Amino acid sequence: MSISDKRDRACQKFMAKVHEITAKEGITPSALHQIKKKLVSLANKEALFPLSDFTMPVAAGRNHPLLVEDDDGHGLYLTINMPGKEAAPHDHGIWCVNAAISGCELHQFFRRTDNGAIPGHATVEQTGEVMVEPGNGMAMGDHDIHSTIVVGKEPAIGLALYGYALASFPSVVWYHSEFSSVRALPSRRGANAA
Amino acid sequence: MARSPKTHRVKITNSKSVINCATNQTILQAAIAAGIDYPYACASGNCGTCMGRLEDGKVSMLPRGDAALSPKQAKARFTLACRARPRGPVTITWLGADRDV
Repeated sequence: MSISDKRDRACQKFMAKVHEITAKEGITPSALHQIKKKLVSLANKEALFPLSDFTMPVAAGRNHPLLVEDDDGHGLYLTINMPGKEAAPHDHGIWCVNAAISGCELHQFFRRTDNGAIPGHATVEQTGEVMVEPGNGMAMGDHDIHSTIVVGKEPAIGLALYGYALASFPSVVWYHSEFSSVRALPSRRGANAA
Repeated sequence: MARSPKTHRVKITNSKSVINCATNQTILQAAIAAGIDYPYACASGNCGTCMGRLEDGKVSMLPRGDAALSPKQAKARFTLACRARPRGPVTITWLGADRDV
């Protein structure tokens, strides 16, 4: 069996476990924690994810679909982000779980501190952080806010599972402390959701 | 005493404004500081909302996601204001809702 076949089989097995967990518990912090542990185990099988099978970013960040479910299901991706690649604090509108294969990506978590009364204005404060590195991962709920930055000199290569495929994402909301602002991208749900 | 970073003139055609942008500042940061309603969302090189055409001048780019600006777009002198730092005088036009690239 080729590495690609073994990888596909491992991803399908992982996704079956995800559905087993969520069928029993729904999307709860406990369920996301269990999914994170399963994703970390999958990411630890580094031999299934040889870099030669995945194109490196042309710029600094690229997502490779591993298993995107039909019927508006979950999306599992291999992500490659180069040193310095960052994402400002944002809320996906959908849960996600990450685990590292190699490299280090710092995830910081935030909470919104204003009441949303002024359109386009927002303030956030940091509530925690986790270093996603080999043997570790992170999980966040539908409207949790996080930022990311790749630290160190190596690319951060990891696995990311989202409640929806990236092409079917709800509105992603971005927060900027520097500008005390909030900006939302249009939802992709209308065009792509079943 | 620490020296202030060098600044360059950045002309934003949409707002008919000319602003100063430090070499350690992105065009988006300088525009917002100058009170210009420059279109943006992620402000970190992931979404492409602040994409604009570099009419004149050169910029250096902070890391960005591949999906935010394709090599074809970069070759055609499109850039991301949230990632672009001026290397000299620059003229830029944001695409906003009129983008077709």
